[in-house]
Amino acid sequence: MPGPSRAVLICAAAALLIGAAAVGVRAMWRSEDLDRLMRADPETILSNRDLAPMALKIGRNGFEHHCASCHGTGKGDPQRGIPDLTDRDFLYGDGKVAEIEMIVLHGIRAGDSKGWDLAEMPAYASLKPYAREPLPSLQPAQIADITQFLMQVRGRATDPVAAKRGKVMFKTSAGCWDCHGPDGAGDNAVGAPNLLDDIWLYGDGSPANIGLSIAYGRAGRSPAFAHTISAGEARAIAIYVASLARPHPGDDHAQ
Amino acid sequence: MRNKSETPPDGFWSLERPNARRSLAMCAAGALIGLGIAGLGLFTAQGTRTARVPAEDVALVNQLPILMTDYLQQLRAQDNVSLGEATPAQRHKVLEDMIREELYVQRGIELGMQADTVEVRAALVGAVEAQTVTDATMAQPSEQELRTWYSTHLAQFSTDGVMTLDDHVLPFNSTPAALAAAQAALRAGNAKAVPLSGRMTQGEEFYFAARLHLGDPLFAVARTLASGQVSTPVKTPDGVHLLVMKHNLGPVPLPYDQVRDRVLTSYINDQAQRLTAAGERFLEKRADIQRAKGFE
Repeated sequence: MPGPSRAVLICAAAALLIGAAAVGVRAMWRSEDLDRLMRADPETILSNRDLAPMALKIGRNGFEHHCASCHGTGKGDPQRGIPDLTDRDFLYGDGKVAEIEMIVLHGIRAGDSKGWDLAEMPAYASLKPYAREPLPSLQPAQIADITQFLMQVRGRATDPVAAKRGKVMFKTSAGCWDCHGPDGAGDNAVGAPNLLDDIWLYGDGSPANIGLSIAYGRAGRSPAFAHTISAGEARAIAIYVASLARPHPGDDHAQ
Repeated sequence: MRNKSETPPDGFWSLERPNARRSLAMCAAGALIGLGIAGLGLFTAQGTRTARVPAEDVALVNQLPILMTDYLQQLRAQDNVSLGEATPAQRHKVLEDMIREELYVQRGIELGMQADTVEVRAALVGAVEAQTVTDATMAQPSEQELRTWYSTHLAQFSTDGVMTLDDHVLPFNSTPAALAAAQAALRAGNAKAVPLSGRMTQGEEFYFAARLHLGDPLFAVARTLASGQVSTPVKTPDGVHLLVMKHNLGPVPLPYDQVRDRVLTSYINDQAQRLTAAGERFLEKRADIQRAKGFE
């Protein structure tokens, strides 16, 4: 074998070895970074100058890879029932990093027993509106009454008498109070939205959209990534998502 | 330029000639790097015997992890504190409780609790079924797949129809002439001429409720009536019915955007059912199931 060919081969082998070693060292560093993330209190990482930039960088990459296909940039899409992650309105929990981390890992109604799956919006225009407990079916006029009540709480009712009937049903027979609370303020322990504000997960808050939700129900899903991504990456994604609602100095989303 | 006939210099760094020492050193370096990578994988991978507790775990009990995320959730559930807020005593107590639970679970498996404890069996069945759904949920369908599912299962994503009707009833033995007279009176708008059955007294109803109140034979006739139409006589065991349809609006497909969440749920449920069926076939196929005579 001529000398120069042998030299090329040896150089190539050496380059491969160096490359492999570099990848290994980088993986170790990254692993160490994620280890530090996992050992820290998740609620303090965003204010930790050492950990936050690294967590946000890894989290943003993970978010773009795993979450952006539905959540986009995080601004949400009421037409598709995709929640806005950049506001301070939390449907599940109250925005703690540990809570978001559990959603990333175990999902919402994803068939994972550690995920959120305590309730869904019943479909009142059906014989058996709710699988979890007995609830009465509603007639079209009753759905219209409850819709009027929900419009009334933000001063937009067109039929006060119907709204009064709706209020009674909301607080008694229809069972809405059980999840949304007697005042309609919602319950983030079960993912029941606040009906008093003007933030709508589905549609634009018009009577037609509200009536549709009452009649045919809602049950959004979020996948469980526990078997797809590492625990460290899940935490980094959770920190990034938390940062969307809590703009952090130095992060692009702070604007 | 070196003459071709000139012999290249011998030495460790002279790459133009083979060198036994260099070859040996390269082999040794390669082996060391390989061992290093293997060792790193071995001692940090989840589920293997590890020299230290991985960062994502808070403890290992017989090499089975107690996850940090579970620990944090338990701290929150038990004392409503974060990791940073918890006192050493709170941290210790929660961890000891979780270790105790893990020990009991492992002991339960050793004792074969799954064989004769109904709750454990039910929980295992539920967990395996749920795992199937998780797999189906993870395969996020594309918008195109969802739209295709929507258009091929349009009935699922339509409104329920609504109808408002009066159900009049005459005695079972009414003569054809009496029936014809009653039908004519109803067509003329004289509703009081024929008594109501009392089955549809609540005004506008969804189709599912109307079917329940009228019964299948009458509902089958009712849903075909246009608004303002009077039915032909329909005999049932309790008499002869004449239906006056005041308003009838059949099911209307809802726009895709308004029902996307239901389309996704329906799609995933279908995938989950297929996976469950396939999984059951696989389990049966690989299992050695012997059925007693008479129970085949």
